[in-house]
Amino acid sequence: MDRQAGPRAILEGLKAAGITLIATLPDENLTELLKLVEADRESIHVPLCREEEGIGICAGATLVGKKTAIIMQNGGFLNSCNALTTTALQFQIPLLLLIYYAGDIGDRGFATVGTVTEPVLHALGIRTYLLRRMEEIKETVHQAQVLAWDANRPVALLLTKDVLGTRG
Amino acid sequence: MKRFDCLKVLAPMITDELMVVGLGATAQEWHALKPREANLFIIAMGYNTPVGVGLALGLPHRRVVVLDTDGSMLLNPGALVTVAVERPPNLTVVVFDNQAYERGGGLPTATARGADLAALARGAGIRHAERVRSVRAFHRAVAAALKRRQPSVVVARVERGGEKVPWRQTDGLEDKYRFARYVERTEGRRILALPEQ
Repeated sequence: MDRQAGPRAILEGLKAAGITLIATLPDENLTELLKLVEADRESIHVPLCREEEGIGICAGATLVGKKTAIIMQNGGFLNSCNALTTTALQFQIPLLLLIYYAGDIGDRGFATVGTVTEPVLHALGIRTYLLRRMEEIKETVHQAQVLAWDANRPVALLLTKDVLGTRG
Repeated sequence: MKRFDCLKVLAPMITDELMVVGLGATAQEWHALKPREANLFIIAMGYNTPVGVGLALGLPHRRVVVLDTDGSMLLNPGALVTVAVERPPNLTVVVFDNQAYERGGGLPTATARGADLAALARGAGIRHAERVRSVRAFHRAVAAALKRRQPSVVVARVERGGEKVPWRQTDGLEDKYRFARYVERTEGRRILALPEQ
């Protein structure tokens, strides 16, 4: 199996959506995707120290006309809850959150962070879609950005190992 | 040195810069001195400088000035590292350091106990980061920063307390729309989604 097929489809979806600024923080399972983002010359890649600053950076870039996304682990999503609440939600900033779903079914480890991920997203009122099938990746990434833009809110996609090419 | 006196010398230096004016009393004092559509008020503690980085990366030909505070910078010091790494040449960060969480009850911040935000900025890799203690030094440092094609950090050590000014009468969401429409107009680009036709 081509382990880069999923990450490539994610990047294609981001491009189809017109996203040109991508803030990221690594996870082992995001490595291929982040390498593709770094190599892409058409978009600005901002590596972060902490996920919540990425929400601020994306908010600023959005307010001068960029379409933005942040790629992080679900532990990092938990780090960014205050920024999401006080900046993105309060001031209605569209933003695409691509969240690696550590502690997904079938995983060993990270069950605690996996357990709280979806309830916290729901508590924040962030519409969330789970990506598991390769054929749905590109279109769903694109459509999630359209929803974020239309709703003036963050929208989350949970990236499983199945679509990141790291299962098994 | 009073923050308001620093803002008074800053006001004539500002023309079409986009500004993140952030928090509490600083934002109110700035608005009283220089009400303008290019002031962005929407930011919560810890995110002023990151939002400024986003503006600066998104519009590299336009100058961006952030008014930040010691408590905010200490909450998210990694923001200085990202400024150093991204090196937006059009970004100036002014930090008003009153050594206290003044809006949060007045207890001291770590800068009251020796933490040096300009040294932190330099350690992060920002070459032009300095601490100033007089209005004259503040003026000189900011004037140099606004001409420089590199990111700059000016940490102004100020007294606690502020000026009594009339507070602005708009809410943050309104300010966001006004700011975005201003950028749309001056940059000729669409920022906010059009309603469905």
